[in-house]
Amino acid sequence: MSGQDGRHAGAMPVTRRRLLRLGLAILPGLLGAKLLSRWMPGLGEDAALGTSDLPPAGALPPGPQGGPAGHDWAFVCDTTRCVGCGLCVEACKLENHVPLDPEYNRTWVERHVVTDDGSVFIDSPEGGIHGFPARSTAPGATGRAVRQSFFVPRLCMHCENPPCVVVCPVSATYRTEDGVVLVDADRCIGCGYCLVACPYGGRYLVPSGGQTPAGTPGVADKCTWCYHRISRGQSPACVEVCPMGARAFGDLNDPESRVSIALQEQRTQVLRPALGTKPRVYYLGLEAEVE
Amino acid sequence: MSVTIAHQTIRIDPRAAWGATKSELARQPRRVRWWLAFLGLLVLFGAYGDIASIAPGDEALGTTPTVEWGILIAAYVFFVVTTSGLCLVSSLGQVFGIEQFRPVARRAVVLALVFLLAGFLVIALDLHYPIRLLFGVVLSPSPFSAMWWMGTLYAVYLAILLLELRGMFTGSERLARAGSTLALGAAIVAPSTLGAVFGVLVARPFWHGSVVPAYFLLTALLSGTALLGIVFFLVNRLELRGHGPATERVVPALGTLLALVLAGTLFLTAWQTIIGLYGGVPGLSEATQALVVGPLALRFWIVRVLLGLLVPLVILVLPRPRTALGVPVASCLAFVGIFADRIGFVEAGQVAPGSAASGVVSHPLAEYAPTLVEVSIVVGALGLVGLLYTLAERFLDLAEPASRDHAERPGRGGATDESRAGATGHAGAKVPAHEGAGVL
Repeated sequence: MSGQDGRHAGAMPVTRRRLLRLGLAILPGLLGAKLLSRWMPGLGEDAALGTSDLPPAGALPPGPQGGPAGHDWAFVCDTTRCVGCGLCVEACKLENHVPLDPEYNRTWVERHVVTDDGSVFIDSPEGGIHGFPARSTAPGATGRAVRQSFFVPRLCMHCENPPCVVVCPVSATYRTEDGVVLVDADRCIGCGYCLVACPYGGRYLVPSGGQTPAGTPGVADKCTWCYHRISRGQSPACVEVCPMGARAFGDLNDPESRVSIALQEQRTQVLRPALGTKPRVYYLGLEAEVE
Repeated sequence: MSVTIAHQTIRIDPRAAWGATKSELARQPRRVRWWLAFLGLLVLFGAYGDIASIAPGDEALGTTPTVEWGILIAAYVFFVVTTSGLCLVSSLGQVFGIEQFRPVARRAVVLALVFLLAGFLVIALDLHYPIRLLFGVVLSPSPFSAMWWMGTLYAVYLAILLLELRGMFTGSERLARAGSTLALGAAIVAPSTLGAVFGVLVARPFWHGSVVPAYFLLTALLSGTALLGIVFFLVNRLELRGHGPATERVVPALGTLLALVLAGTLFLTAWQTIIGLYGGVPGLSEATQALVVGPLALRFWIVRVLLGLLVPLVILVLPRPRTALGVPVASCLAFVGIFADRIGFVEAGQVAPGSAASGVVSHPLAEYAPTLVEVSIVVGALGLVGLLYTLAERFLDLAEPASRDHAERPGRGGATDESRAGATGHAGAKVPAHEGAGVL
């Protein structure tokens, strides 16, 4: 008993000094952890920390009202023109260092085959990057009478009401003033919630090994409408290379842009409108069944 | 340097610690050593997966862009929802004062802590940047994100559990009661928020809606009750600390509760399945079909429904099969069934991919197969849970104070026994006192 008392008497009372010392001791630990989490993506990879698609400040060309807020970007896919060549998929992978594995795509092309009985068969071999084999049809449609067949370019919808933005637990994904949904690769923890939240399958988690968009494996990635290009007055890579003009990108604030004209003169459609996501990628010439 | 815990001094010194561990292990009976060795092996097997999955790339896990949530997420749900269930059952005795459930408190809370830690371990390994998570949820929180709430609530839950344990083991009645009430609140809010993580997703019709939060709450009770049914069967069978009439009464009470919860779960599962198959609601009908007649059907019908719901319910409800082993067997089956349910639930929600292909080979249903790394992480976490709990049983006093009373005086039952045997009891008690007085 007395031994215990003696020990307690000898122990240091909790003073302000002791508390401060404890706090100072913890601080390097916290900082160390923060540094470690920054270094971890750089281990073995090209240590391009903090690189993102954002251009340096001042590089943004002014819109009609000036600055990024002046722009109101939108995208149009014309399925009556798309021939499924896959050049858009390849251009995107080259421009943005998208992982070369076929299951990781920022954009891809689907072939939709509608048979006489109304069934739909869809395929997308390797995202359509090598086009679609000649004299072939979607698996399951072989031998059936085909009523309609067309190609549907797919990419992130950059929704006005994006379900991926609202679910991120660390606010790593956000929608810019000019309407582009982006991911902060330094903040993303790789939980995959935005992947399961996206109704359009637009996202993937960056694998390690091979080329990666921002040098950071394990984070969420998706189409950015080539933000580094559009902020300099260029168009996204996929729009640029499309030989059929099936993709269009532009500013809805500019009544002369291709997208403004398309929305004014044609009947457009978005994918899965019932979900309330308000996509900013509009489609022309879709059959009602496209999901 | 040394530290004093529960009146025992422990020297913090690696050699002394190793020596103490060795001598403590040597002192254990043979059966316990074999059991600990087996659990240790599971943990070692898990260590392989734990280390292999640290590098933030995708290769170690079998997840793909279309099925990004795999068995690690299912295991996380399994562990933390069981935690909540354990606290719910414990609150029946501690907060609602139902006498039969009083003995479960300490064991339930210790198990809850162990399961919660295992859940955190599993989810931290699934995340690619867990340290960023800790900074991110504090520095850049997202109050509209169900996952942010879920993480925050379970962190608070951990604090509440520690508080409750402190109250229980230092004999502070007030702290223990406050802890139990807070734990009850957390045990309701946290698993339903976890259900909301799935329920808010419009993109996944199989998960979307208000059923999932309620379903998680109900199945929390299911897994918590089942686990306690197994544990208390072992408490009585192996004559662990605090066993006695009170702990023997717990088992049939848990059995009744389990039967009720099984019936409720069966009801919900049946209706969800029927409604999912009704009409061709895109996304929902493909997912339900995959679960019921598709690639997930075998596990769903045999493990989840037959072994996990129907057989235990029959065992517990029909008088004929109800033997002394009835409750533990039903509990084991229900527990395994719940684990299968978590995996099926997570997979079914993702098999109907949002996009037709997005470059993935399998179509129209997405495919997922867990890798060895994922399996080893889950097995290791289960081994860790067993190991930590076994050590707790050996070295902590997990007997509830009330049940210790009952164990010492086997004649005295509950209040009714006392009042009924009032006259004889008093007479019986008086006689020794008189004798004592006489002797004095």
